[in-house]
Amino acid sequence: MEEEVIVVQDLTKDYGEGRGIFDISFSIKKGETFGFVGTNGSGKTTTIRHIMGFLKPRSGKVEVLGMDAWHDSCEIKKYVEYIPGEIAFPDLKDGTTFLRNQAELIGLKNMDKADYLIKRLQLDPSANLKRMSKGMKQKTAIVAALMANKDILVLDEPSTGLDPLMRETFLELILEEKKSGRTILMSSQMFDELELTCDRVALIFNGRIVDIADINALKNSDVKYYKIEFTNNLDFEKFKKLKYDITRVQEKYNQVTIKILDKDVNKLFKDLKKFEVKFISEVKHDLEKYFKEVLKKYKEEKDV
Amino acid sequence: MFSKALFKQTMKANWVKWVAVTVATCVMLAIVIIVLGNLGINDIRDSLKDVFTQADQEAYLKDNAVDMYELYLTTAETNDQMTTFSGVGSTFINNLVSDFDNALTDYETENNAKPDEETVKQIASEKADAFIVQYESLIEMFMPDVNIEDLKILLNNVLLAHNENASLTGKDLLMEGYYITVYDNAYALAIEEEKTEADALSEASEAKEQARKIVVELGTIGTQEDYSDYATTYVNTEMYNMVYDMQIEEGATETEAKQYAVSVKVISNTAINTYQLWLEEGETAEKAKAEATKSISDQIPEKVAVALEELGDMDMYGLIIGSIFYRIAGLLLPMVFVIMVANGLLAGQVDSGSMAYVLSTPTKRRTVTVTQMAYMLWALLSMFAIVTAVSVVSVFIVGGNNFAINYAEILLFNLGAFLTMFAFAGFCFMCSAIFNRTKYSMSIGGGLTIFMLVCTILGLFGSDVVPSAMRIEAMNFFNYLSIITFFDTTSILAGTLSYLWKFAILAGIGIITFIVGVFTFDKKDLPL
Repeated sequence: MEEEVIVVQDLTKDYGEGRGIFDISFSIKKGETFGFVGTNGSGKTTTIRHIMGFLKPRSGKVEVLGMDAWHDSCEIKKYVEYIPGEIAFPDLKDGTTFLRNQAELIGLKNMDKADYLIKRLQLDPSANLKRMSKGMKQKTAIVAALMANKDILVLDEPSTGLDPLMRETFLELILEEKKSGRTILMSSQMFDELELTCDRVALIFNGRIVDIADINALKNSDVKYYKIEFTNNLDFEKFKKLKYDITRVQEKYNQVTIKILDKDVNKLFKDLKKFEVKFISEVKHDLEKYFKEVLKKYKEEKDV
Repeated sequence: MFSKALFKQTMKANWVKWVAVTVATCVMLAIVIIVLGNLGINDIRDSLKDVFTQADQEAYLKDNAVDMYELYLTTAETNDQMTTFSGVGSTFINNLVSDFDNALTDYETENNAKPDEETVKQIASEKADAFIVQYESLIEMFMPDVNIEDLKILLNNVLLAHNENASLTGKDLLMEGYYITVYDNAYALAIEEEKTEADALSEASEAKEQARKIVVELGTIGTQEDYSDYATTYVNTEMYNMVYDMQIEEGATETEAKQYAVSVKVISNTAINTYQLWLEEGETAEKAKAEATKSISDQIPEKVAVALEELGDMDMYGLIIGSIFYRIAGLLLPMVFVIMVANGLLAGQVDSGSMAYVLSTPTKRRTVTVTQMAYMLWALLSMFAIVTAVSVVSVFIVGGNNFAINYAEILLFNLGAFLTMFAFAGFCFMCSAIFNRTKYSMSIGGGLTIFMLVCTILGLFGSDVVPSAMRIEAMNFFNYLSIITFFDTTSILAGTLSYLWKFAILAGIGIITFIVGVFTFDKKDLPL
């Protein structure tokens, strides 16, 4: 089951003045959950719009289920559901009307899934569409996207506007979808939700993919980070001279953070015996830290 | 190519606007037709028209009065001369007549046939010429004021009269010759004035009869040195009697007939007095007559007269219903509707992002544009179907085909307004399809549409439907900036066919812009 559902190859859309996306390449396998992370304006949405067939690539290609995303845009939509980054509903009376209208456009008769989603998200769809809060609009958009049970989900920052509890529920829903074998592409600015749901996450910066991280590999990494504080400055200075990979130094507190492989931990403890240590604690190394490091390195390289 | 679900969605989004605009336009139209229809806004025009008709009549009356006055004086003078001449010159006349008879007899024996009409005329003319040559000194002695040429014609006619009626002699024969001269002169004048043959003949006979009447009149008053007072009284009385009889004949009461006849008498008297006064000032008869026969329309400055006359000819209903309602006021609300809806159909939804919900379903872009276009057309068609129904009913209420604007015209007005809106709808739709931002779609599509309406309002002041008193020719320039100019209500009212090709242009603009819109939307990037 190594079928590639979404393939993006050397996708470039240059808007001039350094804006746009450049040489974006990645592919998503069937059943995989793929994340997009990046700052505002980094190109996440532009890439997603190409996949949805709203934008025509300047160069490169985008394929969904083997079909060209621009030319066969309509055919592809039979298999794709979408939550746009900006939530703006058609000029209709209330949520129910909107969902029913949307179902008609999709050709969906069975509203069981919609009802289930409404219950899970505690949404009141009878509310006036224009008066809805940002969170309610987002919930309505989620229901509209997930209700048809299509193979592919394309979600552009789907959790914005949700309160923390709802975000929890939403992530549960995504995990359920994932479990049922659907392929998901999701962009977000929250590392934690991507870390929780995705198999792989791409970091986009200034329109280019800087790195694609494998979450499983990251979680099971044998690299650990430890923060150590020394009681006196002398030990602190001495320790710095040892050959450890120091990632952060806080002179004021006599603190260092080091990066170390699991197999070298014993050696570290042996070395530490020679110093007066105030405390030592593991610093959880998550996706956020990982990408920050990658980005730092990337920026340094670019500057050089 | 068509999505029922999307059509329903668009309808739900826009029905309030549709109802509001349709109702408001219908109410405006009904008020314009029914209320103004009952006010009789053409009354002023009609009374102005009356003024000019009356002025024409007055000029005609004055002209006749002065002519009759002149005839009276000439006849009186002639009669005087004839009387003198016949006393002294009956021998001469007898000689002339017998000379003429001899010439005819000679001709008969020579040619063995009676002379034909042409020959008689020729012989008469020869004899008259010979007579003048023979008695020139005597004529100068007895009739020093007479014009020799006129006398030649008179004598010629005397001979012809003798030929007609051999029993006439002396003064009677002379007078008969004079009547023929009057007849010929009146006929020649009428032909010169480009009247028809029949009219000229009847005018000539009338003048001849008038001359006869005057001679009878002169017989009763005796010969006088100064006839002008008699002439004035005679003409006034003649005019009075003529008009009075005519009025009675047409069924007017005696009081009415008298009233009208007196007013005519006043006009005739004024004309003759003016004529006399100008002659006293030493002016020529021609100039005096021109002054005497001036009517109201001659007395006001020419530009004002033209303006007033145009005001009289102006069709207020055509102006208000055709040029103001159907081309301006009635278009405004449908225009606002079209601008708002056309923008909301595509650009508005792309700008807000709501188009994403439609396009993330298996709905082609072409399906979206065709469906939205279908809505636009449906909305306009149904709107104008209702407006047309209201206009037809309104026209029926104010009198159907007897109303200033008939059914055919009102139907063409509605068709024209629809085609104009169709062109604007196409243009706004195209802008909505080209631009991703409401602000551009609105400012170019809507802006240009409103700009054209404003141009039509300004251009109205320079167009032919406005009377020249209010017209500013330079403002007509604005009509060239607006496609509403192709909605030619003037042509429709005038019954010419030039509105047809203009309608075709409007339809063409609509069709092309709609098609361009559909194809543009297929190919462009959408920020959804």
